[in-house]
Amino acid sequence: MKHNRLVVMMEIAMMTGLAVILDFVRVAQMPFGGSITLAAVPLILLAFRRGAGAGITAGVIFGIINWMIGGYVVHWAQMLLDYPVAFGVLGTAGFFAFKRSWTLKRKLTAVIAGTIVANLLRLASHFTAGVVWFRELAPDGMSPELYSFLYNIAYIGPIIVITILIMVLIVRTGERLFHPETS
Amino acid sequence: MLEHVLIGQYVPGRSVVHRLDPRAKLASLFLFMVFLFVSRELVVLGAAAVLTAAALLSAGISLRFFWKGTRLVLIIVALTFFLHLFLTQEGRVLLEIGPLAVYSGGLLEGFVVGFRLLLLIVLATLLTLTTTPVDLTDGIESLLRPLSYVRVPTHEFALMMSIALRFIPTLLTETQTIMKAQMARGAAFSRGSVWNRLKAFLPVLIPLFSQSFKRAEDLATAMEARGYNGGAGRTKYRELSWKLSDTLIFCMFLAFAGLSLWTRIG
Repeated sequence: MKHNRLVVMMEIAMMTGLAVILDFVRVAQMPFGGSITLAAVPLILLAFRRGAGAGITAGVIFGIINWMIGGYVVHWAQMLLDYPVAFGVLGTAGFFAFKRSWTLKRKLTAVIAGTIVANLLRLASHFTAGVVWFRELAPDGMSPELYSFLYNIAYIGPIIVITILIMVLIVRTGERLFHPETS
Repeated sequence: MLEHVLIGQYVPGRSVVHRLDPRAKLASLFLFMVFLFVSRELVVLGAAAVLTAAALLSAGISLRFFWKGTRLVLIIVALTFFLHLFLTQEGRVLLEIGPLAVYSGGLLEGFVVGFRLLLLIVLATLLTLTTTPVDLTDGIESLLRPLSYVRVPTHEFALMMSIALRFIPTLLTETQTIMKAQMARGAAFSRGSVWNRLKAFLPVLIPLFSQSFKRAEDLATAMEARGYNGGAGRTKYRELSWKLSDTLIFCMFLAFAGLSLWTRIG
């Protein structure tokens, strides 16, 4: 096994562990469950640092651990979509990786775009999960799409804003973290 | 801020359910999860209720732990029940309260949907209450093994998951140390506006990430020094053992799946 591959594997493990811990640090609390935490930051940082593959792997592992230590299951598809898939897609931020030589403005654009796309995909995953099981549960006459969208945007919206702010701050003061060769 | 961190919901115990092989528990839950929604027959619902009650009673876990983890979802169950109760207009009218009318169809529908949901939540929660995350990881690795024939690195996946779980306490201590160090310098994590709190987190996050990347590098080197060479031919310190009781439990859930399918087709 190549040394570099093993290092990436260990980085995935460490960032997943940190995501679990940061998930307990509440930045703000939403009224209907769903708290605003920084759990996405290590996952997205890893995606930018090591590419989408590593990011997606870390997200899937985080999703499974998250389910293990306090998730809920109401439907098999909801279980997949709310945990491994929802966090796995955060790794797609890695497609927006930037080079050290880029200008600050270009770097910031890449980070913001990547963070937004990754989180929107996560939103889509939670949204679909909500529709799937709400359709199973809700009586006729209620729109599962609208309900699911409102419920999920209510906490993913603030998470997107906060994750972007933190990622921008990290680019400005700790950019070396994005490039494996310098940290 | 981090003192309430309780890693996992696992409640230690020596009950039959605790001692079952995690593979048996995962596979049984999977069957239950899928086939509970296949049929609406009362006999299937009854069988599911018996299975769940038996598992719950033999696990010997107090309801207090259930309440802690599932409060929010149970509210959703109750909400679902009442929505169906008042919005389904089938059958005959049982009760009228002002503009609201309860129909027999609504009562039945609310009961079926809410009860099914409740059973699934109880059984799924029971799995995480009686199985440590490490055992679950071993179980998942073992169940996913067939995928390794199509070159999915299941061993590596499980290894990363185990290491992440193993390092959560270590990383937690590190997080707390850094947070205390920054608090000694006057950082305030739980006061002020959200923006100020975020900025206060930065001097914690950056050293934390930096140290964790360094730890990853050290770990990789240490593993190589001890001859780690990927999954092939690697032996385990803790082996899962499939017992007769596991077969019995799994067969019970298999029978449930069969019953559910049979009432649907028949």
